[in-house]
Amino acid sequence: MTSISNNQAPRSRRRIDGWRWTGRIFLVLMLMYTALPMIWMLLTSIKSGFAAMQFPPQWWPSEPTLASYQKLLDPQNSVGQDFLRFFWNSLFVSVCTTVLAVFVAVPAAYAFSRFTFPGRQFLFFAVLLRNMFPAVIFLVPLFILMRVLGLVNTHGSLILTYLTFGLPLAIWLLKGFYDNIPIQLEQAARIDGATRFQAFLLIVMPLSVPGIIATAIYSFIGAWNEYIYAATFITKNEQLTLPVGIQRFFSENTTDFPGLMAASFMMSVPVVVLFLLLQRYFVRALTEGAVKH
Amino acid sequence: MRNYQLGRALAHGAVVSALAVSLMTTSVLGQSVDISKWSPEYVRSIAGTEEFDTAEACGSVTPLDYEGKLTFWYQGVFEGDPDLLRQYYKDFFETFRATYPNIELEEQALTYNDLLDKFRTALLGNAGPMMVRLQILGGVEFASKGYLQELSPEDVGWKTEDFWPGAMKSVMWEGKAYGIPTNNETMAFIWNADIFERAGLDPEKPPATWDDVVAYSKQIHDNLGIAGYGLVARKNAGNTPYRFMPQLWGYGGGVFDEARENPSYQAIELNSPESKRALQASYDMYVRDQSVPVSALTNQQADNQPLFLAGQVAMMISHPSDYNVMLDLQAKATGGDAEKAQAVIDNMRYGQIPTGPDGRRAVVFGGSNIHILNPEYVDGGEVDEQAAKAMVCFWTSPEWSLKMAYAGSNPGNLNGFKTKWMKERLETIKFLDVTTSMLPYGVPFPALPETPEIMNIIIPDMLQNALTGAMTVDEAAEDAAEKVRNVTSGEGL
Repeated sequence: MTSISNNQAPRSRRRIDGWRWTGRIFLVLMLMYTALPMIWMLLTSIKSGFAAMQFPPQWWPSEPTLASYQKLLDPQNSVGQDFLRFFWNSLFVSVCTTVLAVFVAVPAAYAFSRFTFPGRQFLFFAVLLRNMFPAVIFLVPLFILMRVLGLVNTHGSLILTYLTFGLPLAIWLLKGFYDNIPIQLEQAARIDGATRFQAFLLIVMPLSVPGIIATAIYSFIGAWNEYIYAATFITKNEQLTLPVGIQRFFSENTTDFPGLMAASFMMSVPVVVLFLLLQRYFVRALTEGAVKH
Repeated sequence: MRNYQLGRALAHGAVVSALAVSLMTTSVLGQSVDISKWSPEYVRSIAGTEEFDTAEACGSVTPLDYEGKLTFWYQGVFEGDPDLLRQYYKDFFETFRATYPNIELEEQALTYNDLLDKFRTALLGNAGPMMVRLQILGGVEFASKGYLQELSPEDVGWKTEDFWPGAMKSVMWEGKAYGIPTNNETMAFIWNADIFERAGLDPEKPPATWDDVVAYSKQIHDNLGIAGYGLVARKNAGNTPYRFMPQLWGYGGGVFDEARENPSYQAIELNSPESKRALQASYDMYVRDQSVPVSALTNQQADNQPLFLAGQVAMMISHPSDYNVMLDLQAKATGGDAEKAQAVIDNMRYGQIPTGPDGRRAVVFGGSNIHILNPEYVDGGEVDEQAAKAMVCFWTSPEWSLKMAYAGSNPGNLNGFKTKWMKERLETIKFLDVTTSMLPYGVPFPALPETPEIMNIIIPDMLQNALTGAMTVDEAAEDAAEKVRNVTSGEGL
C-alpha cells in the first residue's frame, strides 16, 4: 500500500504542476499584454521629443526627463493651464454622470426586479433599444437636440448623453443583482414594521452595494473616456474634456509624443486607481446575476 | 543643413515650368501676378523694403474702438509645432485684443484633421462660429452650399492682386469671392544625405524624376533594409493628396485637367495612362519592391516625420516646418541625444520635388483661407460683421500673414514678403529658398465643391485599393474615375 501510494503521488504532483505552469505562463502573457503598453507609455513620457522618435527605440531613456509632466502640471504655462482645466472638466462630467446614473438606475432596477406593472417587459427591453445602435448614428440628431435645448458647449449636454448610454446597462446590471437578493428579507422587515422604502433603504441597499459600486465604476469609466460626443458638442476650450483636449499634442505634420504619453498616462491614473480599489465589487456584481441562489 | 544646387535646378526647370507658370500668371479675376519672377533672388531683393502699420490699415476698416463680439474657429498650432510659430499665434491674439480692446473674442483652435468634420457638424445644427479659417480645400465646398458670405480682399482694405491667383481661385464660386487667403505654401523634397551615401547614392543629389524615386527607394531598401521613400496613403487625411498629387501631375495625369492652363474640370483623367503610370509607381514601391514603410496605408506626415528623423526613411515630400521642428527637438534634447539630433540636422537636405518622365514638375499649391459665415448658420443667428472684418483684416495683413506662416508657409498677402520679418526669416530658415523655388510649379486643387471628397476620400481609396491588392492598378484607377464621375454628377460616392 505504502509503496503504491508513494509511486502515485509524484505523478499526480507533476501533472498538477504542468497545468499550474501553463496557467502561470498564460497569466504572465496576459499581464504583459495589458501592462506593457502602460509601461511603454510611462517610459516614452520621460523621454525628450527626439529620444522618443529614435529607432531602434531607447528601451530605457538615456536622458530621462520629467519635463512633460512639469509642463502639464504647471498652472503658470498655457499647456498646464489647459491640461488642468481639461482634467477638472472630465472629473466634473464623470462624477456628475456617475451620481445621476446611480441615482436613476437604483430605483429603476429595483422596480423592474420587484414590481409587476403593465408594460414591464416592454419597458425593460425598451431601455436597451438605445444600445442596439452604433453610438455614432445619434451624433447629429443629438447635436441638433442639444442645440435646441441650448446645451451645446455645456457639460450638461455630455452628462445627459452619457446617461442615455450608461443607464440601460446599469439598470440591467442592478436588476440582476436585486433578483438575487431574497425577497424574504424585505418581507421580514415589513413584518417588523418597516415601510417599503425603509426596507429598500435599510435592507436591500446595503446588500446591493457591490452592484451599485460596479454601476458607478462603469458609468465613470464610460464618461471619463468618451471622445466623439465631447468632440462634437463642445467647441470652447474652457469646456473641453481630457480625451478631446489631449489632441493638442497632434499637429498637421508632427506629434509631441512625450507630451501625449504623459497626458495619456495621467488620464489613465484615476481609472486605474478606481478600478484597483473597487475591482472586487465590480467582479462580484458582474458574476452575481449569473447564478441563481 | 544645405540646399540642393538651386541655381542649376531653377535653370533646368525653367523650360518645363513654363506651362505651370502660365497657369499661375493667367488673369484669374482679372488680375495678373507674374509668379515666374518669384525666384529666391527676387524674394530676397524685396524682403525688408516696406513697412506696414496693421492697426492703422485695419482701423480704416473697423474703427479701433469698435465694440462687438466675435466667435472664430481656426486650424491651430499645438504642442508639436515649432515653438516659434506657437509664440506668433499667441502674440497675434494678444495684439488683436490690445488693438481692438472692445471686441470680445472667443477663438477656438482645432486640429487639422478635425476641423472640416467638426465645422460640417456645427453647420448642420446652425451652431457655427461667426468666422472660420479653413484649409484651402474647404472654401468652395462651403461657399457652394451657401454657408459663407461674399468676402474679397477689397472688403477689408486689401487688393485682390496682392494675393496669389491660384489661392484666390480656391475661394471663388460662380465668379464671386467667399474668402481671403491667409497663407500659401509649396512643399519641397527632403532627404537624408547620410543614408544616400551609405546606400551608394550621391548624398548631394536628389532623385531627378519620380522613376528615380522608385529606383532610389529600392536601392536604399535593398542595401540598408530601411524604407527609401516616405509614402503616405492614409484615408481622410489631407496629407495624402499633398504627397500623391505632385506625383500624379508629374507623370502627366490628374483628376481633371487641373494642372493645365485654364482648366475646365470637365474631363476626368484619373484613368488616363499617365495617371495609371503614377499609381503604378506607388504600387512598385509598396508592393513590388516593398521599399516604403509597411505602415504607409495608415501613415500621415506626422507618422513619417519620426521615421525620417530616426533615420528609417531616406526621403519624402516635406512641409517646410520640418526643419524648425527638428531644431526645436535638438534644442530640447540633452547629452548624447543632443549630438544625435545635431547629426540628423546636418544630414538634412532640401531640394525640388522630382519631375515626371517628360520633365514636368508639380507641387500642390496649398494653404488656408479665412471666411465669414452667413448668420443663419451661426450659433445665436447673428454675425458681427465689423468685428469679423477686423479679424480678417488683421490676419491677412502683410505683417500677420507673414508671422502666422513664419516657420512653415508663405504669407497669403504678397506684401508680407516685403516686411522686415521676411528678411529675418530668410536669414534664419535657410531652406526657404527651396520652397520658394517651388512656387512656379504650384498647382491649385480643382476649385469644385466636391474637391474635399475627391482629395481626402477617392484619391486615398484609389491608392489603398491598388496597394492592398484589392484591385489591380488599372481597376483602382478606373474605379476612382467612376467615383469622381458619380460625385461630380451629384450621385455621391
